[in-house]
Amino acid sequence: MSEIQQGGGGGHKKGGKVRSKKASTRVDMTPMVDLGFLLITFFILATTLSKPSAMQLNVPDKQKDEVKTDPIKASKVLTLYLGKNNVVHALDGVAPDDEEAKTKMKDVSFGPDLRAMITASRTRINAANPEDKEGAFVCVIKPLKNSTYKNMVDALDEMTITKTKRYALVDLLLQTDKDLLGDKLND
Amino acid sequence: MPAVKPKRNFPMMDMTAMCDVAFLLLTFFILTAKFKSQDAAEIETPSSISGLKVPDKDLMQISIDKDGKIYFGIDNMNTRIAMLDNMGEAKGLTFTDKEKKAFALQSNFGLPLEQLKGFLNLPGEQQKAFKQPGMPVDSTAQNDLALWIYNARKANNGLRIAIKGDNLSKFPAFKDVLGALQAQNINKFNLVTGTEAPPAGWTSDK
Repeated sequence: MSEIQQGGGGGHKKGGKVRSKKASTRVDMTPMVDLGFLLITFFILATTLSKPSAMQLNVPDKQKDEVKTDPIKASKVLTLYLGKNNVVHALDGVAPDDEEAKTKMKDVSFGPDLRAMITASRTRINAANPEDKEGAFVCVIKPLKNSTYKNMVDALDEMTITKTKRYALVDLLLQTDKDLLGDKLND
Repeated sequence: MPAVKPKRNFPMMDMTAMCDVAFLLLTFFILTAKFKSQDAAEIETPSSISGLKVPDKDLMQISIDKDGKIYFGIDNMNTRIAMLDNMGEAKGLTFTDKEKKAFALQSNFGLPLEQLKGFLNLPGEQQKAFKQPGMPVDSTAQNDLALWIYNARKANNGLRIAIKGDNLSKFPAFKDVLGALQAQNINKFNLVTGTEAPPAGWTSDK
């Protein structure tokens, strides 16, 4: 395998001059290649391959006195309650204390279902409020205590995907929310 | 006449080119390498389509593992020592040089303050095997996390904050961390996530 070829065959021996045999300068590279690949393997295994990405999250200042703004009309809000087992309880344009809220609340799963829901809701709300140039649609994300961190990140990611500019992550549950959710809150 | 014996030639490959390639790749990997840090807990982050990268330096990372235990770490060793000094000053504790050295090696830790000294005095292997109980973040009783954050920022005011949560950690754990941050008027931070391809046809606005 690693034989080093010597000289150029016996054809020259007939001539008068006896040439000194040239030593071959070829070095066998095989061990060097072995070493190279060994080191490569080590570096591949020892490094973190994909650098994680970061999601920017800005939360409202708690200590600043709240600027009084008009409360947003429930008809412009899509509320997403993140519940147990990766289920989102979505309330589209209905206030939680509305009588119809319980029947109108829909359970959707993450992924395409949720995305379709947000897009549909946004289209409907923006069409109903054409006077608001930037879009009237507001999405409120309320993670319940039995939801996971992944649910929250997914929901926030969904905001980026659907390009929803106005959204809020709210951890405060009002009494009306609690009444509406009932036992979904605790199980 | 005897049959001509073919000259036995061992097949030989020129390895030079292969060697070149191998070392080229090796150089590439050495230059781009960023070693995995030894973390106190294994955390599997959720993924997002966000294209932003986590900052390389001046980073304070708060990790939440799958049981909701909280770990705290900063990336620079000198800042770690400065932070420990600040912490000792605030709590009336003194740390020996050996303890400081051991502390500088912790990429993150999740211990109540009173257990920290004992932990730092353990020999190296035992430290690795030690099950860290997570940092207390109770807003009423003992909020070590808030103290660490405060003292870390005192040591280096330019620290950026990243929260790294496990897929399975429950929301209340995150809420506690959020509370500790917001109480100190920190309203901007990064969530560390894996990278995921955006859905087909999606383009960024920016």
